[in-house]
Amino acid sequence: MLKIENLKAKIDERHVLRGLNLEIKTGELHAIMGPNGSGKSTLSNVLSGKKGYEISGRITYENQNLLELGIEERAHKGIFLAFQYPLEIPGVNTNIFLKSALNAIKKSKGEKELDAIEFLKIVKEKALKLNLGEEMLSRQLNVGFSGGEKKKNEILQMSVLNPKFSILDETDSGLDIDALRIVSDGVNSLRNKKNSFLIITHYQRLLNYIKPDFVHVLINGKIIKSGGPELAIELEKKGYESFN
Amino acid sequence: MEEQLKRNFNNLINNLPETDVGKESIKARKIYLKEFIKKGFPNKRIEDWKFSDLNQIISSNVEEIKFFDYDQTQTKFDQSKIIKNFKHNKIIFVNGLVSKIDFSYEEKAKIEVLNNLTEENTKKIGRLRSIHPEFTYSDENPLISLNNGLKFSHVKLNVKKNYKFKKPLIIYNFTNQEINSTVVNLRFDLRLQEKSALKIINLFNDDSDNSIVNINHQYRLGKGAILKNYKIDHKENSNIKYFYNNIDLDDDSVSENFVFSKGSKFIKHEINCDLRGEYSSAFVNGIINLKNSQHHEIKTNINHLRRDTKSYQLIKSVLDENSKGVYQGKIFVNQHAQKTDGYQLSRTLLLNENTEFDAKPELEIYADDVKCSHGSTSGNLDENSIFYLMSRGLNYQQSRELLINGFLLDIIEKITDLEIKDLIKNIIKIKE
Repeated sequence: MLKIENLKAKIDERHVLRGLNLEIKTGELHAIMGPNGSGKSTLSNVLSGKKGYEISGRITYENQNLLELGIEERAHKGIFLAFQYPLEIPGVNTNIFLKSALNAIKKSKGEKELDAIEFLKIVKEKALKLNLGEEMLSRQLNVGFSGGEKKKNEILQMSVLNPKFSILDETDSGLDIDALRIVSDGVNSLRNKKNSFLIITHYQRLLNYIKPDFVHVLINGKIIKSGGPELAIELEKKGYESFN
Repeated sequence: MEEQLKRNFNNLINNLPETDVGKESIKARKIYLKEFIKKGFPNKRIEDWKFSDLNQIISSNVEEIKFFDYDQTQTKFDQSKIIKNFKHNKIIFVNGLVSKIDFSYEEKAKIEVLNNLTEENTKKIGRLRSIHPEFTYSDENPLISLNNGLKFSHVKLNVKKNYKFKKPLIIYNFTNQEINSTVVNLRFDLRLQEKSALKIINLFNDDSDNSIVNINHQYRLGKGAILKNYKIDHKENSNIKYFYNNIDLDDDSVSENFVFSKGSKFIKHEINCDLRGEYSSAFVNGIINLKNSQHHEIKTNINHLRRDTKSYQLIKSVLDENSKGVYQGKIFVNQHAQKTDGYQLSRTLLLNENTEFDAKPELEIYADDVKCSHGSTSGNLDENSIFYLMSRGLNYQQSRELLINGFLLDIIEKITDLEIKDLIKNIIKIKE
């Protein structure tokens, strides 16, 4: 589904990614772990199309050159980024925003757009399944939400937009155990043979709830080691220092 | 300009109704016109006009000024411009002349309406004169002098004690291609007696080109009276406007003002509130939304003249292309106005580097136990917010519109009348 070859990214004359290689196949869930400043968030930003980076290398997504696609085109083709710090958008109702987003994706695929009633039916169903209160949907997008609520909202958006490839950027940071469980249950319930995930995290803790197929260690802009779930446990014990 | 003005003045006098051509009246008009001739249209050397040089704006947009040219046929208007499915009373001005007055939803005994064009009962006019002088004290404001000297339409509404209007009043201000004068001067006076209440929507709809529209509204609120006043200038037009509101508030009265400023080439809304009664309060919420080379200003003078008075002002502006917005907000507190609560905030989105926003907050305070604050921010749309919305599938334009809509929405939410809020949302196309 996704193949990253020798990806380099530079921002403000600072080299953040320094030749990253990674391949994620359909149905797989990969975890990337790394210390602060290793390039984890840059990787998720570059994958979702954020501007401001000087990029070289190749990213192939479903046989297309991903780097040629605009931010919204990537979303239309099924890429979703759950933000580390979801933004507060005053005056924008969560429901209306999400309906516009879902319809933009449907429109790009030539599918029929949903009316308000059809949309509400879907969103209520998803919220119930994820064990999330519906009331956050009628509020302004993330405005006044607690850290946990914002992350739950990201998972709800992910579930409604139904992406093929989801990137979760430190979704576990700042979550208490209960919220962590809700978020993990959400991800697990969305996993299937047709979609893939890239989970970016500092800690092994999240991987107790979401079982990865592969774990990668990202240090200084490069993946220096890859393995199975046991690699995360080794990391937790030894720390990142031992990989330097 | 002086010669032209003299010729036009004679035309005005010949067409005025008899009640208004008394020697005194003509003499007063001449005095005001002399004042105007002495000063001309205000320019940037006058402090209140330093950000909006009206003289310059007029000279670069209007070739020849015809101050007054009367022709009865000018009052026809396009019926489709009247708001449907919304029960309301009407005053319709077309090209500065009264075209229609309709208060059919109200109890006839509770209101008095006077129109100088049709009213023959001089006694009645005399009575209302004592409430609102026929001419407004101009305080060296040349546009008020011009309005005093050349006003042709002057509608007065008196609402009796305890009477609450059953339906809102829409004051339509239409201009069209039939207009003969370059300058429109009109006047509206409202007296709300004790504990009466009225909601007014001032709606502009312009089809004329490069007209100068000079409107003077005088409001006087008795004890406990409530006036909600919504001013909507939404339709794109090339006119140059000055809309002056003077609001005088007695004890416990409330004046809620909402300004939506978008359509005109130039408009300056000036709102003067005199909080003369204890526990009276004034609210001014405004939106300036511009593009092209539009230039709009909101100027307020909130005068706290008694204790326990309150004022609140919130102005949000969105400027694109090479437009210019101005907000001059003044809070004045005299030595008697202890426990004043005065607040003003201006927030602006500059969507383009060629836009300009000038904010001049002024606090002038002579009492020692008051709470007054002001603030002003300006900036561009947040790129990270745009990225967030686009990463969900919205394109750049949709994301931008959603953010701008969201930025402006909280001003709309301050409209306290739900029916009017829905109507306004519909007119100005802001979504919830």
